[in-house]
Amino acid sequence: MKKQFLKHLKGSLLLGVFFALLSMQYANAQQSVTGIITDETNQPVPGANIVVQGTTNGTQTDFDGNFTIEASSTDVLVISYLGYATQNITVGNQSTINVQLVVDASQLEEVVVIGYGTAKKSDVTGAVAQVSAKSFEDQPLTTVQDALKGRAAGITVAGSGQPGEPVKVRIRGVNSITGNNDPLVVVDGVFGGDLSTLNPNNIQSMEVLKDASALAIYGSRGSNGVILVTTKKGSGKAKVTIDQFVSFATVQKRINTLSSAQFAQLENDEFIANPVNNPANAPYSAATIANFEANPISYQDLIFQTGVTNNTQVSVSGASDDNLRYFLSGNYIDQEGVQITSGYKRYSFRSNLSKQFNDKFSLAANVTLSREITNNNANSFSNGDGSGLLRAITWDPTAGVRDSDGNYILRSPREVANNNYNPIRRLELSDDERTTDRLNLTLNAMYKLTDNLSYTLIGSLSTANANTEYFRVEGDFEATGFSNIGYNNFRSTSHQVSNILNWKKEFGKNNLDITGVYEFQGDRGLSNGYNVSDLNVGGLYLADNSNAENFFNSGNQSAIQSYLGRLQYNYDSFLYLTGSVRIDESSRFAKDARTGTFPSGALALNFANKDFIQNSDTFSALKFRVGWGKVGNQNINASARFSTNDGAGLYTFDGVNSNTGEVQVQEGNPGLTWETTTQTNIGLDFGLFNNRLSGSIDYFNKDTEDLLLQTIVPGTSIRTFINAGEVNNKGIDFSLSANIIDNDNFSWNATLALSKIKNEVTKLNDDKEFIVGNAAGIGGGGIRLNVIKVGEPIGTFWGYDYLGTWKTTDNIPTDVDGNQLFQPGDPKFKLDENNELEFNTIGSGLPDVTFGFNNTFTYKNWDLNMFWNGSLGFDVYNEAFGTISGNGGNRSNLSPEVYDRWTPTNETDIPKAGTANLLNTSRWVEKGDFVRLSNLKIGYTFNEGVIKGISSLQLYVSGQNLLLITDYSGFDPEVSSQVRSFGGESANADAGAGIDIGAYPTPRTGVVGVKVTF
Amino acid sequence: MKTINLKRVLKSTPLLALFFLLTASVIFQSCAELDIDPTEFDLPPESFGSLEEMDKGIGGVYSQVTLAARMTTFYAPAWAGDDMTTHRALNKADFREFDQRTVLSSNNRLLRNWNAIFDAINAINGVLERSEGLLGLETIDQDILGRQIGEAYFLRGVLFYQLARVHGRIPLPLTKFPDPEISRSSLTEVYGQIESDLMASIERLPNVYPGVLPGAPRPNIGSAKAFLARLYMDWAGFPNNDASKYALAASTAKDVMDNAGAYGFGLVDDLETLWTVAGRFNQESLFTLAYCKGCPNNSLGNRKFSRLGLPADLGGWNETFAEIKFFEDFPEGPRKEATYRTELDWQAFNAQKSPVFKKITGPPGDLNPGDFITIRNDFLMRYAEILLIYAEASGLSGNVTPDAWEALNKIRRRAAGLPYATPDAGVDVTTGDIADLAFTERKWEFAGEYVRWFDLMRREKVAEVLSVRDNVSGAVPEHNPIIGSLETSNYLAPVPADAVARNPNLAN
Repeated sequence: MKKQFLKHLKGSLLLGVFFALLSMQYANAQQSVTGIITDETNQPVPGANIVVQGTTNGTQTDFDGNFTIEASSTDVLVISYLGYATQNITVGNQSTINVQLVVDASQLEEVVVIGYGTAKKSDVTGAVAQVSAKSFEDQPLTTVQDALKGRAAGITVAGSGQPGEPVKVRIRGVNSITGNNDPLVVVDGVFGGDLSTLNPNNIQSMEVLKDASALAIYGSRGSNGVILVTTKKGSGKAKVTIDQFVSFATVQKRINTLSSAQFAQLENDEFIANPVNNPANAPYSAATIANFEANPISYQDLIFQTGVTNNTQVSVSGASDDNLRYFLSGNYIDQEGVQITSGYKRYSFRSNLSKQFNDKFSLAANVTLSREITNNNANSFSNGDGSGLLRAITWDPTAGVRDSDGNYILRSPREVANNNYNPIRRLELSDDERTTDRLNLTLNAMYKLTDNLSYTLIGSLSTANANTEYFRVEGDFEATGFSNIGYNNFRSTSHQVSNILNWKKEFGKNNLDITGVYEFQGDRGLSNGYNVSDLNVGGLYLADNSNAENFFNSGNQSAIQSYLGRLQYNYDSFLYLTGSVRIDESSRFAKDARTGTFPSGALALNFANKDFIQNSDTFSALKFRVGWGKVGNQNINASARFSTNDGAGLYTFDGVNSNTGEVQVQEGNPGLTWETTTQTNIGLDFGLFNNRLSGSIDYFNKDTEDLLLQTIVPGTSIRTFINAGEVNNKGIDFSLSANIIDNDNFSWNATLALSKIKNEVTKLNDDKEFIVGNAAGIGGGGIRLNVIKVGEPIGTFWGYDYLGTWKTTDNIPTDVDGNQLFQPGDPKFKLDENNELEFNTIGSGLPDVTFGFNNTFTYKNWDLNMFWNGSLGFDVYNEAFGTISGNGGNRSNLSPEVYDRWTPTNETDIPKAGTANLLNTSRWVEKGDFVRLSNLKIGYTFNEGVIKGISSLQLYVSGQNLLLITDYSGFDPEVSSQVRSFGGESANADAGAGIDIGAYPTPRTGVVGVKVTF
Repeated sequence: MKTINLKRVLKSTPLLALFFLLTASVIFQSCAELDIDPTEFDLPPESFGSLEEMDKGIGGVYSQVTLAARMTTFYAPAWAGDDMTTHRALNKADFREFDQRTVLSSNNRLLRNWNAIFDAINAINGVLERSEGLLGLETIDQDILGRQIGEAYFLRGVLFYQLARVHGRIPLPLTKFPDPEISRSSLTEVYGQIESDLMASIERLPNVYPGVLPGAPRPNIGSAKAFLARLYMDWAGFPNNDASKYALAASTAKDVMDNAGAYGFGLVDDLETLWTVAGRFNQESLFTLAYCKGCPNNSLGNRKFSRLGLPADLGGWNETFAEIKFFEDFPEGPRKEATYRTELDWQAFNAQKSPVFKKITGPPGDLNPGDFITIRNDFLMRYAEILLIYAEASGLSGNVTPDAWEALNKIRRRAAGLPYATPDAGVDVTTGDIADLAFTERKWEFAGEYVRWFDLMRREKVAEVLSVRDNVSGAVPEHNPIIGSLETSNYLAPVPADAVARNPNLAN
């Protein structure tokens, strides 16, 4: 056998020599052929390859597209250039051969990244939404999330107006309220990207994998959906693009509260109404009130500013004549927040280099470096009594920031309204700076073992160092514990190695594509730091001077290894079948519960080449897809399965020195295992009128089992992680894209993306009806604002059902002695059969419908983009409004509702003065429905050649968030408050979906920009 | 124009590439570390292995007790007493509900107190379970272990007691994790459990805890016996009404008095020094919760004093005020001076015309008026109370002795500014109903110390006292008039609605 093989080899070698000799013979009869290679616009193409077919004789065009090659008349010249179709031209008797290149049609067909490979869009079997750079390059962007928002069905993006703050992206609803619901972001094949740190200008395309058949290849990381980000590669001639814009952000809306004069007058009225008080001693004089009328003090005005942002983006890209493709990009953003003293800077650099060494081997190296600096982030400050913004809204409107001597007014002089220290002083004196440096290296090597078999190795290393240095002034220097200096360092490193083996083959009309992957990843985080208190001058070097020092240290480590197999088959570009299995082993679970198997299957029928489509005047494309699969979720702390102590239980016996004791804060659960989501997806893609109208519709049904939930051991405050039950998400994603008008001078393209989703907890283990959630109320009242309850959406609001007030004519329930349990004018809540207050579900922050509607108009050199988005069918728990009405740190009622309070003569539904103002009641639940004009942009592009040396110049002005249509009374119903949780617990952002504790509002932004390409 | 020798490139690159890939594969391919090192985390031992771990565990318990007790929340039900009140408006509704006898199950202070106390009790149960493995081990100093276990029992008894006084029947979790469907125990079970916990601590605690300051910042036998005496007083009255316990209260109090020297307890000479920073560790406190300043994150500051007791006119938070009638009725003398800030013209306040407790704010200059975080300690019980329990219980159990009169008279003498140990015919009493006299003496002695309401309750004097609470003699009326029922059916506070919602068994 072996001998035989060697014989064959010898034979081939001989044959090879023979052919070589043969070709040499031909080479003897050579002539010189010259020519010029141009592209589709008749521009000369430098660096195009010209090879005599079957030989190694080749050349390249010079800068002006000229070439000369020695060839005989029977030779065939192979002319190739990246991005263009390769042409074969027989020399014949020509001595001059001019070639116009044609853009490669196979490259024109949209290619979709599907994870561990790519596919032609027409071949995709799963629900994959693509957001290409083309769709968002019309909008000046500083974050990737803005690029995603409303541009693909099934994706919701909830923004915070706060610069540098991560934005919430959700794909097809929310599965978990403990585990992180952020989709997995895979950048160029590497897991764990962070959208908020990516520069949108570096992105070629983003693919959002939505259904399980597409996601299952990401197994345990796939349950929240996957966003595959492909960064740009260079191609063609060297190109330099400079994009510069300046934006101005403001918050125009003001929450309706009592004005300075109104509040002063009401305080006077209350004072005078009490007969023991001498009206002459009323707190505010008529002159003072008149002055307030003329010069009201508005802490909302004082805490907001116009935030100016400068964004500079430079990129250089191209491909050299030896197939080295390069894309280098630098970006600098300097952003001021709309809250005073807050700001964000980002410097980032990316270098994407790739080289095709030959037809077997290619290598790509992507390097990114970035530094982000965040100053006085609103979430860095204590939010126990609501956010800093809420403190400002509820601060005494009769006290200014400074007195007549220019000194800060520290506290409300009459100790009314907010009992915290002056919120403006706090921001002006504090200096909290977080610096994050990131370095990411990705290496991608591919080797074609045979024409059909290729091996790809992806290796990645990344590291992030985040330092926070702060001097925070929460209050009075004279009092204890209100100024803190601290330093905190967080370092994380992660690595990933993926081995991908791919085999592709055509057998007639049968196409087979098999992929096998072995992959492992690990990460390690380490955080340490200290804080000290009672130093009144900032400066880290002073920290030693404090007597109150606190050191802390914590680590986190996890690893996962995976095996994946995928088979894709298509018959005649009509029938498509995909099947895959992924096996993951995660260190987050104990040995017995560690391994998860995630299978999937999908079928698609593409009728595009069938006669009834080909012959139809209406239909131009039609594809039917159905898919099923399982994905998992392991997004919990690395320590979740262990019991843990908190070694920071402080106590003192001598009143001077503190000691630390150990308190158990977490009870381990060794049986903890994967959260598994099974999803079925049925979809239809269609094109009409030669694809001028195209779209897709998908129905999905997701069942999440073994829901990972952080809860507390009943009857304790000890947290524990459990597999709690089951959640179902079902809904419809619909997208439609139309070239409504397409003339030489005028075009109108519109895209609608719409999703409807219903979320429901279908089962809780151990026959529980509900589990109380982790979102804590303002002011530490011990209340919890959300619940996981069977039959309700996850993270439903939890509290008392508010029914107005008890009226004198009401039949007020009594106790055994016949005494009324409530007084007329008291708030009336729903009671149970024993006349006890009853907790109920009182609303949900998860929208039923979200949509985005993007319009691009072009007229000659003008272009106009208008992007609307909205959410319907959700509630907002307006804790901010509740607080304004007197709760948390706010001692006074600052709501204009105070004029409409219940009195014996006017029995309204606003409770009488002096009753307990509870925050966990449906009184504060409002409808959140909104429609927003997210982007409006007008641009003008100068014709090429108008300015010498510049190939493209665009000037534009735009406005973001110009119009918000909503009945919500707060700043913005699309709230993304940082969720408060009780000590030792944590709540994810979805636990607090729709809970407004004074969220940083999304500002209105005006932008002026210029984009130049050389 | 140039010609490249493609042949050469083709020949070398694949080999190089293959070599590169192989090398890279070998370097990269190591297995994932799936069994992470548990020492990365602070894991609690299933069972303590050393006294150090036990010590950390007991420390954790103290931290939980401090967290539960540091705010007025711990004593909010005491606002129902005729000695104290709060602001008529502002955000003091939780306190007003107690003051006006309309306590709802939605009261946040009630819920927070419930949660915080059970957090501490759960920590104690965890420590008791984990310490079992150390018992009897030769390598472990059993004396040290024993007294720490004694502390755990003492604290559990005190915390159950604190909650039982408010709610009556409470659940009694005794295991590391409570039964999720635990019900409320009967009153007899509740009081029996507190008694048994205190008894268990008496068996294990030393006469004086070594290495601590005066005032038992760590409890001793005397502390436990003192709480037992108080427990018997309550047990004899509402809601148990087991009058046989008065004799036990008297004998237990007498036991503490007889051994006061051994336990390091006694009266201080000058009442006023108790409510000063300088006097925060003193022999009169039978169990002290200590607080400190500058300890990290302010978590060890006492948040009940100074600013909490001042009106806004003086930069205060208007939370803890004195009732007007009680102030008017208070007998003049050094004790009144030590109880109230009589130098303040409270009728001229604009925020609220209410007298101010010196016990809360300290004498002028002692605490910074702007501080709500102070280093004043809590005295969970004072030696004066042992003397008055003895006097009252002697009367109620029909066994009045000269010692009982002497106990009462010591308090009366000191209140008058006299040396408490020296008989003085001018203030001493030796006739009359000693039970009533002692009860009244407690009224004045413990005004503003969150005691009075529980006295009114156990002796069922709520209606008698509170129905006239608002009958002030001066021009300034009571700010928060009584609204709710003064009947016994309204004495106890409901279980927080939040707790019932989570465990419906608590409704019954």
